[in-house]
Amino acid sequence: MLQMSGLWLALATFLSIWWGHVGVRWLEAHSADIRPPMIVLIIAGLILNLAALFAPNVTVGGVCSVVGISLWWDAFELVRQDRRVRHGHAPANPNNPRHARYLAEGKATIHDPLDREPIDPLADGRQAARDRNLEVA
Amino acid sequence: MMWEGLAIGLFSLGIIGFGFFWVIRMEYYLGYLWWPYPMLLGIGIIVLSLFVADAGWSALLGVTGASFIWGATELKEQAVRAELGWFRQNPLPKPLPPFAAIIRKIKAPHL
Repeated sequence: MLQMSGLWLALATFLSIWWGHVGVRWLEAHSADIRPPMIVLIIAGLILNLAALFAPNVTVGGVCSVVGISLWWDAFELVRQDRRVRHGHAPANPNNPRHARYLAEGKATIHDPLDREPIDPLADGRQAARDRNLEVA
Repeated sequence: MMWEGLAIGLFSLGIIGFGFFWVIRMEYYLGYLWWPYPMLLGIGIIVLSLFVADAGWSALLGVTGASFIWGATELKEQAVRAELGWFRQNPLPKPLPPFAAIIRKIKAPHL
């Protein structure tokens, strides 16, 4: 008989991290004020962690607590995401008055600076080799 | 009361924190092209968790495996962050991973 606890926890962890990236960005971009969603996330995290204490088994308790603690982290991430947008490290939403203010200040951008492929080390290496050959020639 | 659940939640916080650490180091010393290896390690750990009798230990392995899979998806973005100057860039050449030519053909996943 396979032990499914690990698989459930893996799923809860991965989905929590996924939401922590994708959901938090969306929430921050669509909230004029980040404080109300922060309060909701903190309360939801509290409820889930309390539920974990009264769970019928380790798997349910673990899933509740993993999701609950990551919701607390997400509340904190809203602040960090706000800072990223303000500094131009994440795209601003011009329809969001808070972001519009950051854009007016001049440092924010509507472009996602991370939305590109990194330099291919293999292609780069070939380029470097070509450059060296040119020097030799 | 079920304290074990809360312990697993705290463990996930710690292992994700460790993820931030190793993703930065791995990108710095090895490069993002190594991404399939932590991903395979994560999948392996999750498969292993299926064969651990104790639900608590299996849960900890599941959380660990998932965090390695996530870390693998972060390596590419970390490489871009370093190129943008947000993180230190390693001036030394990075070793290519085994099967680099095949890995290059696959678009590195990210969240």
